[in-house]
Amino acid sequence: MFDLVHFTVNLAAAANVYGLANITIGYFDIVLAYIVAIIVSIIIALILRVPLMPSSRYSFDVSAIYPTPIIAIGVLSFFLVLNYTFAFNGLLLAVIIGVCSGLFVKYLFNYIFPSPSQGEDVNE
Amino acid sequence: MNEIIGIILATIICWLNFVIVDTYFGLPEQPGVEGARIVGESIKKRNGDIAGGFFQGNILCSPDASAGTLITSIGYLVLGIPGGIIAAFLVFIGNRLCADPGYAGTVGSLTATLLIFIFSFIGLTPEMFIVGMVIAILTIQGIDQVRASIILGKIADKFNRHAEE
Repeated sequence: MFDLVHFTVNLAAAANVYGLANITIGYFDIVLAYIVAIIVSIIIALILRVPLMPSSRYSFDVSAIYPTPIIAIGVLSFFLVLNYTFAFNGLLLAVIIGVCSGLFVKYLFNYIFPSPSQGEDVNE
Repeated sequence: MNEIIGIILATIICWLNFVIVDTYFGLPEQPGVEGARIVGESIKKRNGDIAGGFFQGNILCSPDASAGTLITSIGYLVLGIPGGIIAAFLVFIGNRLCADPGYAGTVGSLTATLLIFIFSFIGLTPEMFIVGMVIAILTIQGIDQVRASIILGKIADKFNRHAEE
């Protein structure tokens, strides 16, 4: 009665979702997308006045070179393995993810992953 | 390449990767959490080295470069180089959940991705790295903790990362 699977597939085909999304890109474009994501995320983090380097090897503070590019290339990898590359051979996607990861590190990171010293120590 | 030779080579590469990265980022210097301190002091009571004990406690209590290398090998097997980078991202999230800054795990994952890519040209497959990493972690944690801690303490001395006790 309700053929939901075929309905969804037909709707997606009518909207040409697959035609827009699944464009396979070459190795050069993938490497370029990674480099663009790393550079854009570092620049956005620096514009938002996140410090460039972590203060020590044990600090929990966020900085522009760690973990901002890690988040950017990690999320970009999810899109690449799903073959969802969007327009301009993945470059637009890389820029969007770089901007989002910079904003995430500045405004949301300490809320989602608080450093342990902020809470009460259960051992003392 | 012959499977046995490949596994032996991959074991050596994985061992060097995770011991060097973990030692450089200061795992032998201080216990990150209370559990690591208890493991380190227990090993010291059995005539082991305190720095090697902290090292073993730290890799037991949070995903550092050892777990990072293993998860990266699995990610590389499934998805290729993007799989290795996804593994680094997931190891970073796991580190933060374990109250660990996560420098060692993330950097170890990325260097492991690079190493697996480089050594794929001479015929080492990600499967060999999975088996090799399991054997490498067995030599540290499984066979003789006291002797392993003494070796790890000597390596920590070379890197100037020995615990001050």
